[in-house]
Amino acid sequence: MPIVLEKLTHIYQQGGPVATTAIEDIDLVIDDGELLALIGHTGSGKSTLAQHLNGLMKPTSGRVLLDGRDINAPGEDTRKLRFQVGLVFQYPEHQLFEETVYKDIAFGPRNMGLSNEEIDGRVRSAMDMVGLPFEEIKERSPFEVSGGQMRRIALAGVLAMRPRVLVLDEPTAGLDPRARDLLLKDIQRLHMEGTTVVMISHAMDDVARLATRIAVLEKGRLVMEGLPEVVFGRFEELTGMGLDVPQGCQLARRLRELGGPEIPDCYLLESLADSLAAFLKGGGGDAA
Amino acid sequence: MTDIAHLVCDQVTYRYEPQAEPAVKDISLVIPRGQFTAILGHNGSGKSTLAKLLNGLFLPSEGRITVSGMDTREEKHTWDIRQAAGMVFQNPDNQLVATRVYDDVAFGLENIGVPTEEMPPRIDEALRLTGMAEYADRPPHLLSGGQKQRVAIAGILAMQPQALILDEATAMLDPQGRKEVFDTVARLNREQGITVVWITHFMEEAARAQRVMVMDHGAMAMDGTPREIFSRVEEVRALRLDVPPMTKLAHLLIARGIKAARDVLTVEEMAREVKRLCPSCWKN
Repeated sequence: MPIVLEKLTHIYQQGGPVATTAIEDIDLVIDDGELLALIGHTGSGKSTLAQHLNGLMKPTSGRVLLDGRDINAPGEDTRKLRFQVGLVFQYPEHQLFEETVYKDIAFGPRNMGLSNEEIDGRVRSAMDMVGLPFEEIKERSPFEVSGGQMRRIALAGVLAMRPRVLVLDEPTAGLDPRARDLLLKDIQRLHMEGTTVVMISHAMDDVARLATRIAVLEKGRLVMEGLPEVVFGRFEELTGMGLDVPQGCQLARRLRELGGPEIPDCYLLESLADSLAAFLKGGGGDAA
Repeated sequence: MTDIAHLVCDQVTYRYEPQAEPAVKDISLVIPRGQFTAILGHNGSGKSTLAKLLNGLFLPSEGRITVSGMDTREEKHTWDIRQAAGMVFQNPDNQLVATRVYDDVAFGLENIGVPTEEMPPRIDEALRLTGMAEYADRPPHLLSGGQKQRVAIAGILAMQPQALILDEATAMLDPQGRKEVFDTVARLNREQGITVVWITHFMEEAARAQRVMVMDHGAMAMDGTPREIFSRVEEVRALRLDVPPMTKLAHLLIARGIKAARDVLTVEEMAREVKRLCPSCWKN
């Protein structure tokens, strides 16, 4: 069953002199197994929206439903419901705090009241999922490993809670290219193995590669939503919002402007290269 | 100080501990005055260590570094060098100290003992050059990330440096903030002739530099124009770095039997390349 957002609105400091509407009237369904990219300008409400998905923030109005149940309804059951959605913050390594990598990753499962044996199994498999060598680093301080590893420790801490839905707020920000690629591979694999993923990102080439669907927020409202080719096809609107567009789509647009070929599938470089090569070999015939 | 060679490393090695593996290994380079150089490389490749060597925060374990002819190891030059080669770091929130943008820019000047009456014109000029003049009275914590970095840069500019060394100054910014900061620094380089050392993980930023250096395991692995460096796709990939998307596309086309140039960097160049490859494909 999916996550359903119904008329979700959040107003910071409601009623106060500086009341700010962060998100307004958002209706969105996140289906099981999809990898939804949430894009939008800084301040568009992406992070606020993300923090509603596991009940960390409460809506001012509207509802968040998981399996048809309101996750903000009172009672112990809804607390368990929220464990199914794992949220990884921006720069999550800033929140590492335990003495050892093991204890840090075990913190979430321990909080869930699991047995030591169950916790141990979960820590091992979570570390395995993000490519962290268990024996080598379990007893090390999480503060003396590399930046990329710190990020993956933080991610493992959330994965150890075995969430069905993983919400990632700019997971690759500030990482070097190698650490970024490793992390994106982990995310892609988790998605392939059935985890529903919601990923906030500014890196459009990553979004183009991974997302099965894209939702665009502007000034707290959901303004666009659809398959990557559809969303990235609306080039002018995206750039008008100050968003990046994958370079392949920038090229497709430039070629069209110059009276050149129409390249339909621009957002993945591989398929763009296929279309362009076919077009050039055909001497300007069919690009598709 | 009209020397051409601005920042010079002569066989520089640096170790954090006497017995440790060097973080920077036998690097010799000359960065001419007014050049915009990008440095790429993984975390741990030695980029940040090199940056800190270049403004005298670290002193070489072996070899010699000069900034405008001043040897960084000579204590009498320390302050002149730090002032001549200002550094901007990654996290904008760690660099701002005052409650008002104007005071933040003044802070550095007070530190180096600039007479009070000389401060206002220097602060105004620094804020103007970074496009932050209208924010002079704002509290820094309410600014966007890109604006905070521009204030940090203004604080350094007020000290009238001849070189700016930026260590992943855009890593924590959104695309708009990145562009703001990059464009500001590029303009300072172009219009004020300030030498720039720009450390980054973003290939599209490196593509806009005049020169790209790639570091690996503390050593200088590649050094050339962006066009030379990125056209060597296999080597760049072997260092586990990326090439700009349009360079990648050019190589994908070559792999599909199209005779595209190997050194395409930008969307505009790729559009021209497609036009060159098939002149008859165009309506006009």
